[in-house]
Amino acid sequence: MEQPLAARNHQCALTRRMSHLTLNRLSKRYGETVAVADVSLSVARGESVALLGPSGCGKTTTLRMIAGLIQPSAGAIEVLGVDVTQVPAHRRNMGYVFQSYALFPHMSVAANVGFGLDERGVGRSERDRRVAAALSQVRLEGLSARKPRELSGGQQQRVALARALVIEPDVLLLDESLSNLDARLRDAMRLEIRDLQRSLGITTLFVTHDQTEALTLCDRIAVMHAGRVEQIADPVTIYERPASRFVAEFVGRSVVLPVERSEAGLVLGGRPVRTAHPVPESRALELFLRPQRIALAGPETEAGAHNRLGGVVRSHVFVGDRLEVLVDTQAGRVTVETSGAGAVAQPGDAVSLIWSPSDTLVFARAAP
Amino acid sequence: MSGRQREQPLRGRLTGLALIAPALVLLGAIYLWPMLGLGRMAFNETGSTGAMAPALSLATFRSLFEDPFTLETTWNSVWLSFVATLLALVLAYPLALFLHRTQSRFRSLLTVLAVAPMLVSGVVRVFGWLALLGDRGLINAALMGSGLTAQPTRLVYNYFGVTLGLAESLMPYMILALLAGFGRLDRACEEAAATLGAPPWRVFLRVTLPLTVPAIVLGFLLCFVLAMSAYITPKLLGGGRVFLLATEIFDHAITNANWPAAAALALYTLVLVLLLVAAYAALTRRAEA
Ligand SMILES: Nc1ncnc2c1ncn2[C@@H]1O[C@H](COP(=O)(O)OP(=O)(O)OP(=O)(O)O)[C@@H](O)[C@H]1O
Ligand SMILES: [Mg+2]
Repeated sequence: MEQPLAARNHQCALTRRMSHLTLNRLSKRYGETVAVADVSLSVARGESVALLGPSGCGKTTTLRMIAGLIQPSAGAIEVLGVDVTQVPAHRRNMGYVFQSYALFPHMSVAANVGFGLDERGVGRSERDRRVAAALSQVRLEGLSARKPRELSGGQQQRVALARALVIEPDVLLLDESLSNLDARLRDAMRLEIRDLQRSLGITTLFVTHDQTEALTLCDRIAVMHAGRVEQIADPVTIYERPASRFVAEFVGRSVVLPVERSEAGLVLGGRPVRTAHPVPESRALELFLRPQRIALAGPETEAGAHNRLGGVVRSHVFVGDRLEVLVDTQAGRVTVETSGAGAVAQPGDAVSLIWSPSDTLVFARAAP
Repeated sequence: MSGRQREQPLRGRLTGLALIAPALVLLGAIYLWPMLGLGRMAFNETGSTGAMAPALSLATFRSLFEDPFTLETTWNSVWLSFVATLLALVLAYPLALFLHRTQSRFRSLLTVLAVAPMLVSGVVRVFGWLALLGDRGLINAALMGSGLTAQPTRLVYNYFGVTLGLAESLMPYMILALLAGFGRLDRACEEAAATLGAPPWRVFLRVTLPLTVPAIVLGFLLCFVLAMSAYITPKLLGGGRVFLLATEIFDHAITNANWPAAAALALYTLVLVLLLVAAYAALTRRAEA
């Protein structure tokens, strides 16, 4: 795996050259409020990146700056190496799918989709051909004469998508576009959008506060918190190796336990505990575990190189696709997720919780 | 059970009736009854002395329709109202759009200011226009003082002055009507148009304007009707040289003391406005479909 330095440098240069969309220390302030602070991001051609974060963390603001709908307070936006920060929205060639879809209510579906082509001076027959192609891409062939109000939510979403795609944008920007749909339709649309995005090889930025959406839809995820990007990485890394306490808590479920630092190492519930990852300098620490990475075993099980914590089963919660077992331990209450198959420890049973040091993350404790 | 079910809607209807009864009574007393009286009056006769004699005659209507002046006045009224309303629309539209969009803290204050002229008597506003447009008004003083013109330019006591004054007096109503109708205007639609490559003026033509058509239709209708019935502004700014239906009705009634003629012309105006409004409604409905 070890690469010569020259080769690595070369690859770095290549990645930089291939960067399709680059955000360089982008910031947006509204008076005292800092909506977006120092966001830097580089998206490769054909890549799809999710901006994931809680409500109000600046996702929409970032997307609107990229589209040119608002002017950044500081920083720069580059597309294919060209600075577009000062370019007005109508000359940026970005496909933007709004959360509310923002279809033109006075125009038919075909006119909605053809809007961008009209503005580009595309001739009539060519426009009609491309509109028809775009509508068949999103499987809406029969509905071109309808008005937006005569469509279901999912159909409206497809029209908005077709309208953004038909102009062959440099970047496709999607703002929480699935949040208005019911769960089943959302899953279906997710797959459809991903397939379309992959087959067209279109560079995409996807805003969402839904982690499942981010994890399933995108090549990389940028987790945002209070206007800043906390971590940018592929979904597996985000989930398995969150870079901060915030990311660990926001993405996926976690078990959080207080842990102490001693001469010999970390101490959890009176027993030493090992981690394969760096431990922050701070004095007050917390241990993060994924509930499904904890194994339930008999009370006297040898843990070997793994971590072990004894406890007593308190109760079970059946959640449909999994069984959550609540265990009271020296360190506090722990939720363990199991498939529910096979023998399950009953309430009152003494058990051991066993997990690997590589699944053990330690972060500084949040200020109270 | 079924008895109660039938009782409910009846009681509901009675409650509704009771609630609107005061308004109905008031309307009947101050609007319908005088209108009936007016209608009756139009069929009376004017004696040789000029006094009104009760009768059931169509003589007044006959002379009204035989007089070529009626057609001319009608045309004057309709055309002037149309131009004044159009002018008010053109002036009020950008203002209303700004008021609709502004994020300013002073938004409600600005809205109040925009419609504040409504709080000032029409007479006062007319004198304002006279001070501005009169032969010795501000504009003529400036024109002559700078040597651009030697003689005062006629800006009032003609159709131009009346149209201008009327348009100004209609603006607050137009602004309110437009603001009420701008609800359908979605900022996201305009932004979507921009991201699809439309420069600002194309966004306005293809999205903003079509989405505000209902507001324009409403404002136009309201102000046209107001313009047709406006009296003070045409009277004072027209200075006796502008002949409209409203001023003619007044002249018949007060100057000539010919009440049947005034009543007949008033009825004629009412029917005319109703017909125009109906035609307008039919036209816009057809355009929408
Ligand atoms: N026009 C504005 N004026 C003042 N503050 C604003 C404005 N627009 C956004 N903000 C603030 O900036 C922050 C980020 O807003 P933004 O809309 O980007 O959040 P978001 O991450 O998209 O949230 P959500 O998931 O709820 O859509 C918020 O705190 C918001 O209050
Ligand atoms: Mg948002």
